[in-house]
Amino acid sequence: MTEVLPEPVTTMPNPFRMDYTYVAGTGRSVFLRGLAERKLIARRCAGCGQVYLPPPEFCSRCLTELDAPFELDGRGVVSTFCVVSFPFPGQRIDPPYVVAHIQPHGAGTRLMHLVREIGPEDVHIGMEVEPVWVSDDELGTSLLSIRHFRPVHKGGADA
Amino acid sequence: MTADSLSAPYTVEFPFERTVGPKIGTFLGGLRDGQLYGVRTARGVLCAPLEFEPETGAETGELVPVANTGTVTSWTWVRSRPGDPVPHDFAWALIAIDGTIGALFHAVDAGGDSGRMATGMRVRARWRAERVGQLSDIECFEVAS
Repeated sequence: MTEVLPEPVTTMPNPFRMDYTYVAGTGRSVFLRGLAERKLIARRCAGCGQVYLPPPEFCSRCLTELDAPFELDGRGVVSTFCVVSFPFPGQRIDPPYVVAHIQPHGAGTRLMHLVREIGPEDVHIGMEVEPVWVSDDELGTSLLSIRHFRPVHKGGADA
Repeated sequence: MTADSLSAPYTVEFPFERTVGPKIGTFLGGLRDGQLYGVRTARGVLCAPLEFEPETGAETGELVPVANTGTVTSWTWVRSRPGDPVPHDFAWALIAIDGTIGALFHAVDAGGDSGRMATGMRVRARWRAERVGQLSDIECFEVAS
């Protein structure tokens, strides 16, 4: 055949999209409602002593119901971090920026959040950070109630 | 206790693009032009085309135009959801394009009536007016009896 073939296509869009309903569950809803009041609410397992933040209802190791909720002040240490340098659709902040695992003082678990008000090159594992909360009208039942974490300046009384 | 639980919509979305090989690229170019193509193999003309024969690994041959009609070899009835190619309930089907081997996976619009679906039924491609070189350039197949 001496058919003139079509000009080939070289790429095709292959989007992936899934719509879910996220159900927080009773335990994590306590945590999320706390965030709307600038509170970080944790729970301890009476069996093994593990402190969960955010807390589920049951200890994942002992499968026993956790003790009554209590508040942590949110200060903690960076246990690991990465510098995001790559732009992607839906990104809220211009790269580069730092996303860290933060272990709040008194908690046995880590939160993932932004570390800002410091250059990415100056962030290090073990540094102490504190939460910066959004303004009252922006508070909600979400970790976005914490705008980011920032280094704790010892002795500094900045507000 | 679900009344105590918060819930929220949650969407995961990745806008991937994938590269295609020369045979599938030409097949997609044919869709853009409103013409189905198959690829020659030792077994016959394969539609939808592949770059290589799965069993032997041999490179497939030249692309040839094929019919825009075919026979449903298998189908399943589904409810239409947002983003689906047919706005009412329809079938996803494997369609053996006339004169080819293999099967093309696409939607079949049976007017919302699953009773019109049967293996062996004849279908015809319904082309979109504006085509860009994707499988969705065929809006769906429609009953052709």
